[in-house]
Amino acid sequence: MNRTLRNVVSTGLFWVILAIIFVYLVFPFYWAINSSLKTEAQLQMTPATMVPVHPNRGTLAPTLANYRAVLGNLTFARGLANSLIVAVSVTVISLVLGAFAGFAIGKLRFRGKTVSMYLILAMTMFPQVTVLAGLYAVITQFNLSAVPGMILSYLIFTLPFTAWVLSSFFRGLPSSLMQAAQVDGATPFQTFSKILLPLTTPALVTTGLLSFIAAWNEYLFALTFTSIEPSARTVPVVISLFTGEIARQEPFGEIMAATVLVTLPLIILVLIFQNQIIAGLTAGAVKG
Amino acid sequence: MERQARSRRPSLAEREERLAYLLLLPTFLVILLIAIYPLGKVFHSSLTNQRFASGEQVEFVGLGNYKILLGLTIKELPPTIDEQTGKPERNPETNQIEYVRPIQVLPRQPVRYRELGQFSLLGKRYVIGASDRDFILAIGNTLVFTIASVFLETVLGLIIALVMNSKFKLRGAMRAVMLIPWAIPTVVSARMWQWMLAPTRVGIINVLLQKLEIGNGQIPFLRTDAWALPAIIAVDVWKTTPFMALLLLAGLQLIPQDIYEAAEVDGAGKVRQFWSITMLLLKPTLAVALIFRTLDALRVFDVFQVLLAQTRYSMATYNYYQLIGNREMGLSSAIGVIIFLFIFVFATMYIRLLGVESDE
Repeated sequence: MNRTLRNVVSTGLFWVILAIIFVYLVFPFYWAINSSLKTEAQLQMTPATMVPVHPNRGTLAPTLANYRAVLGNLTFARGLANSLIVAVSVTVISLVLGAFAGFAIGKLRFRGKTVSMYLILAMTMFPQVTVLAGLYAVITQFNLSAVPGMILSYLIFTLPFTAWVLSSFFRGLPSSLMQAAQVDGATPFQTFSKILLPLTTPALVTTGLLSFIAAWNEYLFALTFTSIEPSARTVPVVISLFTGEIARQEPFGEIMAATVLVTLPLIILVLIFQNQIIAGLTAGAVKG
Repeated sequence: MERQARSRRPSLAEREERLAYLLLLPTFLVILLIAIYPLGKVFHSSLTNQRFASGEQVEFVGLGNYKILLGLTIKELPPTIDEQTGKPERNPETNQIEYVRPIQVLPRQPVRYRELGQFSLLGKRYVIGASDRDFILAIGNTLVFTIASVFLETVLGLIIALVMNSKFKLRGAMRAVMLIPWAIPTVVSARMWQWMLAPTRVGIINVLLQKLEIGNGQIPFLRTDAWALPAIIAVDVWKTTPFMALLLLAGLQLIPQDIYEAAEVDGAGKVRQFWSITMLLLKPTLAVALIFRTLDALRVFDVFQVLLAQTRYSMATYNYYQLIGNREMGLSSAIGVIIFLFIFVFATMYIRLLGVESDE
């Protein structure tokens, strides 16, 4: 009896915490959706309304005009395509290179390990504004167009991240696994690719998602590198340059509509991959 | 056991080392390709008076830029002396001793120092002057921002990760929802928050606070000293908690369930299990997450730039202002190097304290 009561209370408490987390994380996004369905006049209403209502009649009155404007905008579609190409390439490259480096640092013994770790991290210790000029010079030197330029330069922040996170995960895997594989005659690289890599799937998916989003959202490099090549602009740059066709000033409703449209693919992406985030590690396989 | 194996077949250790270098090679190629030149250039130009997009002669100025940025001085403020009585003047209302204006004692050559603050010690009054007050204040802002937001993100992220790690209905959907704040481009989400924090009842935060009977619905969050930094911190915590939560969740996934079962059998309570199993095994993940969050927080740019514009600087927005606004390339590179040093100190601290490098 007592036990069931305690169960009910703790389950209740759990759902309350869950609800608070949900509201905290989602409310601002809800507000973006709400704003995206409002006209300029509705946006300026005081007090702000929780749903788009008609300014005079007070009835529900959402508008799709902002979405129509954004979807009718060809540069937005092109921006989506550019972002996708850049973010996917950056993620794949930094996952592959990061897994190599992470395995070496996390599981292999070699001289100069600490120095290597610090060097990799140091690559991303400068503020973007500072490295911008030098990076731009490098990109021009190699005669790269904007898209490969962005891909290469985003590695500055994604590669150290994947390498470091993955190294900590590789280190967490028991060495006995490696030794067992070596006894069985596997080369270290086979041990890495056939045995350890699959075990780090949650880490790979997680760092992959986080890097993808970081690349997808990058703004300052993209703004600079595409300044002479507008057709290569990525979504954040396109959105920030919205001048608005239905509103004269900053088209806030359109910006919010674009935000919703940009965020949705990411949510879908997470939904697809979320089962891998919690890939049930079989307890037996990692007995240390 | 291992050592024996190694001494019998010395080539094994060598092969392992060779493989390690081979695996690290691509990463170092990337560093060589895109990082060495830009970073070297930053160090170099921080020692010059170079100007951005200008053909002027570049001169080597040594540590001059750093001296300007970090120049601090403490001077005693003498009391103002009444010419007739020869005694210190006192404020007629409060009867406090009056002191000379700081500008009279602070150095003016070669650069003008500005007042940063005053303090009294052993009956004497002192003034702290800075040769670049805005930058010193920017360091302060950035440090407060970093410590507060990283701390809050870690605590919240951990709570969220623990909740998401337990089994419940809708878990998959919640996990997708959890990432939303991180998924919205910062340039846009900063604008969104600017809108939500609007100083009138157009802004939802003012509307909600007024319903709770806090304020009159006209709080200018981003233009009030007391509100500005907390508001920015709140925005950043909202934005980056998912990053923390997702990383920690992945870390939790790697903790084998049977350790808890064994602890249960041994009679260890839940609290004990949390500290001596969960937190202990989460430490490496936590360290890496902390390093990357702190690194991002120390160079925070977007939220400061969009929400506070030029009213309050972070180190990186001040850097931007010096480069784009004043075209002081040398000075801005020096700021970059200073930010680099701050990050380096923090990173080393985490690595030492949380033992990232120690093997096993």
